[in-house]
Amino acid sequence: MLRVPSRIGKRTHVRGCRRQAPAYHLILEGILILWIIRLLFSKTYKLQERSDLTVKEELIEEWQPEPLVPPVPKDHPALNYNIVSGPPSHKIVVNGKECINFASFNFLGLLDNPRVKAAALASLKKYGVGTCGPRGFYGTFDVHLDLEDRLAKFMKTEEAIIYSYGFATIASAIPAYSKRGDIVFVDRAACFAIQKGLQASRSDIKLFKHNDMADLERLLKEQEIEDQKNPRKARVTRRFIVVEGLYMNTGTICPLPELVKLKYKYKARIFLEESLSFGVLGEHGRGVTEHYGINIDDIDLISANMENALASIGGFCCGRSFVIDHQRLSGQGYCFSASLPPLLAAAAIEALNIMEENPGIFAVLKEKCRQIHKALQGISGLKVVGESFSPAFHLQLEESTGSREQDVRLLQEIVDQCMNKNIALTQARYLEKEEKCLPPPSIRVVVTVEQTEEELVRAASTIKEVAQVVLL
Amino acid sequence: MGGNTADYVPPIGKGQTERSHFLETSGVVAGALLITRQGSEAGRMNVGVAHSEVNPNTRVMNSRGIWLAYIILVGLLHVVLLSIPFFSIPVVWTLTNVIHNLAMYIFLHMVKGTPFETPDQGKARLLTHWEQMDYGLQFTSSRKFLSISPIVLYLLASFYTKYDVAHFLINTASLLSVLLPKLPQFHGVRVFGINKY
Repeated sequence: MLRVPSRIGKRTHVRGCRRQAPAYHLILEGILILWIIRLLFSKTYKLQERSDLTVKEELIEEWQPEPLVPPVPKDHPALNYNIVSGPPSHKIVVNGKECINFASFNFLGLLDNPRVKAAALASLKKYGVGTCGPRGFYGTFDVHLDLEDRLAKFMKTEEAIIYSYGFATIASAIPAYSKRGDIVFVDRAACFAIQKGLQASRSDIKLFKHNDMADLERLLKEQEIEDQKNPRKARVTRRFIVVEGLYMNTGTICPLPELVKLKYKYKARIFLEESLSFGVLGEHGRGVTEHYGINIDDIDLISANMENALASIGGFCCGRSFVIDHQRLSGQGYCFSASLPPLLAAAAIEALNIMEENPGIFAVLKEKCRQIHKALQGISGLKVVGESFSPAFHLQLEESTGSREQDVRLLQEIVDQCMNKNIALTQARYLEKEEKCLPPPSIRVVVTVEQTEEELVRAASTIKEVAQVVLL
Repeated sequence: MGGNTADYVPPIGKGQTERSHFLETSGVVAGALLITRQGSEAGRMNVGVAHSEVNPNTRVMNSRGIWLAYIILVGLLHVVLLSIPFFSIPVVWTLTNVIHNLAMYIFLHMVKGTPFETPDQGKARLLTHWEQMDYGLQFTSSRKFLSISPIVLYLLASFYTKYDVAHFLINTASLLSVLLPKLPQFHGVRVFGINKY
C-alpha cells in the first residue's frame, strides 16, 4: 500500500471491478467462522483414558478397603527385636548377653577401629554433628570433596559422588539415567534397593535368571530383533544391564567378563552394584573389576554403599566424569537429601587410609571365608549358598517344609539356640509383599577379619549341633 | 518461560554501603530512603522464580505477555515480507500465512519432548508441544487462541488475495495442516508412524 510505482496499475484494476468471492469460498469462510465460535464456547475438559469407563466403575464398586492396621502375628520379627547395647563390633552384647558377631557387615573390622573413631571425633569437634543442608545448599564441606577425591583415586576412576544413605545410592543412580521407554536388564536376585530404583525409573524391566548369561543373551537377542523391526524407536531407547558384584540375596558373584562381552555385543550400559564386594574382593579391595582383572572403564557406573566394609554411612558412585557429573543435578538422593555428616565422611577417609595401608587384610578375609565355608559343608538339613570367598553367605534349608512361615520359624529356632550358645546370627529379612522375586528364607552368616580361627571353628560346630537338634 | 526473568541482583552489601556513605556525606537524612531502597533491593532478589512445575513447557503459552509477543512476531513477519520490493500484496499475504503455519507446525506439532530434564522420568519425551500444553487439557484459553489465530490469518489472507484460486488452494492446504493436529481426536496420533519416536 506504500509502494506507489508498482501499485498504480493494480489500484485502478482493483477500483474498476471488485471480484465477487466464489461460492465455495464463502461457504468455507462461514464454516471457519462457525468453527471459531465453537472454539470460543467449548469447555475445557480432560481427555479420558482409552480404557472402558464401566470397567473402572465395577472395580470401584467391588473394592474393599484393607484394614488400617492389618492383623499381625504375635511372633512377627518387628515386634520381638533383639536389643543391642554398645557397638555391633566383633563382640556384640545382645539382650545383655555377649556374643560373637556373625551378623553385622563389618567385614574389615573397621567399626570399632580406634583410628577411625579418633578421626570421627576430631571431625566432630571441628564441624559438629550434621550438615543441615543438601549438597547444593551449603551442605558441601571439604571432607565431602576430599572423600569423593579419595574414592575416585582408590577405584581408579575419574570421579566419584557421595550419597548420604546407602539404600538411596543405587535407588537414585538408576532413575537418573534410565527413564520411561528405556530398557533395563536386571538379575532376578537383585537387592531391594535396586528394585526400588528400577520402580522409580519407570523403565521397561526385563528380568533374567540369576547369573544365567544364556538367559540374558536370549533377552538381549529378542530385544535386538525388536530393534531391527523398529529402528527409529531403537535409536531413542537406552539399554542398561544392572548387576551386583556380590549378591546380597545369594552370596554369589556376577560373571563380569561375560557381561562385558555382552555389553559390547548388544550395546548396553552396565551398572555394577558393589556394596558387598567393595573392600572385599580384589587384591587391593577395589571390588569385582579387580578380582577379574577387567578394565574399570568398561563398567559405566559402579555404585556401592559405605555401610559394609568401610563401616561408615552413605554410599558412592564412581565412573567417568561425564557419567558421574550428571548425577549432581539428576541424582534425587544427592540433590534433595542432607549431605553426609562430616564425621562419617572423615571416618570413611580414615577407613580408606587403613585399607590402602594394609592390603593384606583382604587375603586374610578371603582365607577366613574359605575356612568357614568348608567347615559348614555337610550340615544335615542346611545347605551353604554362596561363593567360598564371599564373606556374606546364606544357610538355607535343604528341604523346605512347604510353608514359608514354618521355614522361618525353624530357622529362627536355630538362630535363637545359637544365640544361647553366644553366637549371634540373623535371618535374612525381606519385605515379603514388596519383593519381586522373594528369595527362600535363610540364615545370613557374615565373616569378618576380626574373628579368630577358634571362633570360626566354634561357630561352625555350634551351628552343626543346633541344626541337628532342631531339624532332626 | 514467558515474561518472568530473573533480574540481576547487584551485590547488596557494596551498593548499600556506597549509597549510605554518599547520603550521609551529603547530609541527607538517609533513614527513610535507605529503608525503601533496601525494600526494593529485597524485591529484586530471586523471589518467585523457583517453581514446582514438573514440566514448564505446559504453561509457556499461558505466561504473561506471550500472546502479545506472538501477535507482534506475526506482524513483524508480515512487515518484513511487505518490505521485499518484488512481492505483490496477495503474494505477501499468502507467504505470511504459509510461513506462519509452517513455523506453527514445526514448533507445536513436530518438535517433541523438552529441552531440559523433567523430574517425571520423561513422560513428555514423545509428546509434541501442543500435546504437552496444560498437561493435555483440551480447549484451554491458550489452545483456543492458537487455534483461532491461523483461522484469522487465513481469513485476512483470503480477503487480500481476492479469492484467487491458486492462492486459495495453497492457503487452505496450509490452514488444514495446522488445524487438524489441534483437534482433540488427533491427540497423540502419529499418522503412518511419522515422528513417532
